[in-house]
Amino acid sequence: MLRSTRRTFVHGSMATAGALWLPKRLRAQGAGGGTLRTVMHGDLRAFDPIWTTANITAYHGAMIYDTLFALDESMTPQPQMVSQWEVSDDRLTYTFELRDGLGFSDGSPVTSRDVVASIKRWAARDGAGQHMMQRVKEIRAENEKTFVIELEEPYGLVIDVMAKTSTPLLYIMREAEAETDPMEQVTEFIGSGPFTFNRDETRQGAQYVYDRRDDYVPRDEPASGLAGGKIVKMDRVIFENIEDSQTAMAALQAGEIDFYETPPLDLISVLEMDPDITVEVLNQTGNVGWMRLNFLHPPFDNVKARQAMLHLIDQEEFMQATFGNPEYYNKCASNFACGTPMENDANTEWFERAPDPERARELFAEAGYDGQPITILHATNIDFMNNAAQIVAQRLREIGINAELATSDWGGVVTRRAVMEAPADGGWNIFITWAGGASVGNPIALAGHAANGRDGWFGWPEDELHEQLRDEWAMAEGQEGQLEVARKIQENAWEFVPHVWLGQWVAPVAYRNDIQGVLKIPEIVPFWNIERV
Amino acid sequence: MLAYIIRRLGSTVLVMVIVGVFVFMLLHLSPGDPAAIVAGDQASPAQIAQIRERLGLDDPLPIQFLRWASGVVQGDLGVSIFSGEPVLKLIGERLEPTVSLTLTTLVFAVVIAVTFGVIAAANAGSLADRALMGFSVLGFSVPVFVVGYLLIYVFSIQLRWLPVQGYTPIAQGLWPWFERLILPTIALGMAYVALIARITRTSMLEVLSEDYIRTAKAKGVASRPLLLKHALKNAGVPIVTVIGIGVALLIGGVVITETVFNIPGVGRLVVDAISKRDYPIIQGVILLFSAAYVLINLLVDISYTFLDPRIRY
Repeated sequence: MLRSTRRTFVHGSMATAGALWLPKRLRAQGAGGGTLRTVMHGDLRAFDPIWTTANITAYHGAMIYDTLFALDESMTPQPQMVSQWEVSDDRLTYTFELRDGLGFSDGSPVTSRDVVASIKRWAARDGAGQHMMQRVKEIRAENEKTFVIELEEPYGLVIDVMAKTSTPLLYIMREAEAETDPMEQVTEFIGSGPFTFNRDETRQGAQYVYDRRDDYVPRDEPASGLAGGKIVKMDRVIFENIEDSQTAMAALQAGEIDFYETPPLDLISVLEMDPDITVEVLNQTGNVGWMRLNFLHPPFDNVKARQAMLHLIDQEEFMQATFGNPEYYNKCASNFACGTPMENDANTEWFERAPDPERARELFAEAGYDGQPITILHATNIDFMNNAAQIVAQRLREIGINAELATSDWGGVVTRRAVMEAPADGGWNIFITWAGGASVGNPIALAGHAANGRDGWFGWPEDELHEQLRDEWAMAEGQEGQLEVARKIQENAWEFVPHVWLGQWVAPVAYRNDIQGVLKIPEIVPFWNIERV
Repeated sequence: MLAYIIRRLGSTVLVMVIVGVFVFMLLHLSPGDPAAIVAGDQASPAQIAQIRERLGLDDPLPIQFLRWASGVVQGDLGVSIFSGEPVLKLIGERLEPTVSLTLTTLVFAVVIAVTFGVIAAANAGSLADRALMGFSVLGFSVPVFVVGYLLIYVFSIQLRWLPVQGYTPIAQGLWPWFERLILPTIALGMAYVALIARITRTSMLEVLSEDYIRTAKAKGVASRPLLLKHALKNAGVPIVTVIGIGVALLIGGVVITETVFNIPGVGRLVVDAISKRDYPIIQGVILLFSAAYVLINLLVDISYTFLDPRIRY
């Protein structure tokens, strides 16, 4: 029997109470202001933000669904759909209350049952959610507005996990949709968020249309990151799918679109010189390029060979090859992305000396490397992956390693990287990808931070101490406590080398000067708060 | 003639069956797993395996093929693996932009190219002939995307006369529809103009050296009726043949042109589907393109009977 003395841990209740004094119409969305045309980083291929972890689907989710908590601009979790919450003294029971006025776009109210079903479906697909659920005894709806999470053991990340911006985010759907098998897509898109998805005017592959929801009741706090009042100031936002970057740039210059999320860095100077266009970095933690090493097969089943790769790599070379302008990239030795709270310098002496090809050659020899081919998966249709794979192959060959590129498009790489067999039987030794800096900065949020062997992410690193430390990090209290554990994780990681980072970069967005109010937050681009002036 | 058409339509069905089997096998035997793409970058191998099972991608290939083929026979091309939308609906939405671009390009290319070819043949060896044939070589040599970017830079960015990209349905007005097709039509039509103009010139030169043309000249037929009525009609068969063959060129060009000018047509649909291994869409679009190509060549064959009364089927 749980006995808890509740301590006051109330957030946001004053603001909510104050807001209730205002007539609903005044608390609802701001006045409309035309159409905002945007070009995002990719095509919206699937609409269910829990079913797929594609970032563009998370953007779509942020338009039409709301979240229980959200990160503000300083990356601090803030209540969003929750009005107040408290945790018992034994840290085992979290009680949450939904704020007034929450409703779905079909007019039905958001209830605790919707929330409980949404959490369960999300946790079935999200790595961090699963990490939390391993400690969850029960999630239940107490009444229409109150729900409870009961834990088996204290877990310090309950709020952080629910607020995280890495995909999939915990979006709140109606119970009817949230009860869909997590392995199948929902087919109805009735949202709890500030926009509605206009499927009639959406043309798959061409444009995705979102209309302002007049009955959405935003919070009263000013918008900050994904937190605060989601006041929509445009009537409509359209995600245009312009595949060709030159065309998208020309369309922005000609005023046919208002916002371009990923202008190519090699042409960014053209936009910077245009007096009608603002170029700005919204996501300061950007992305981190990384190389996964396959722990299942030689030579990288030997720690010496993995350590060799740390000494071989010069991050500057990888960043220069694709991003060119040093204004937009930096080298980073931390196992947790630079610029995030967990960034640290534990056990990074190797980085000061890198590249050190002679040391790498010695370590491969100590690993007993016998000239066998090393298969590098090489995606040619994505610049960073294409360039990085070729550089890795060249540097390996220079120290006498028999590196082979297995060339395909990214679709081919994502298929082959899942193959656990030996490289000669369709497997691999190295593949290259990237992840969002905010996720890399969190030992739990990024699936690739796990070292739980064959149950884990591609490359299947295995290290018992690493997993113990990740759990310890999840239990740590406060940022200082977490940083202390993060240092231990990194100290150990750069000994057993779960992966190798290739550098960190940011991608500026470009938009017409007549729009303002663009919010800064990693991993998502919000379209509330934006208006045309 | 009717029997010939029926026979050709019958062979079209056979071609479609062969195309269907070939495309299905090619797709499923080539690397790439839609389940892995669907699952996203953070998914574990176990999650990918679950999605693959749900999508039926674990079933033996013959079963997958029969499932797809039986749907096709009933007019159902399946649903997109990613969006869950019916493939027929997706193709239907994309057909108007592609058909519009193809038709405007055909009209533009035939009118310009035949005119160029006739002028060049009538003035063989002159400066005009060399200039027009030089232009044709240029049309062949410069890729569609280069022409496209140049047109956008000059007419959209610098002069601001025409929009950069996009497509407006014809239901929203003739000019808004045509305005967005002008630059793509020119870009796509360049190579086609070059091809038809050169064949027209060659064919016309051959006809112009015939005895009956000399006789017509001797009888005092004016040069314009001589070229258009007597020579061009008799030079028509090879020109029409090249137009038919060129449709394949056009289909390839449509894919690139739709990308450069952001036209939401069938070409972009299939390119996108290939990148994400959305098998039902790829199979559906290739079947459609194959049927269109076979039928256009049937129309070309039939048109021979109008151009040359000696041809009978």
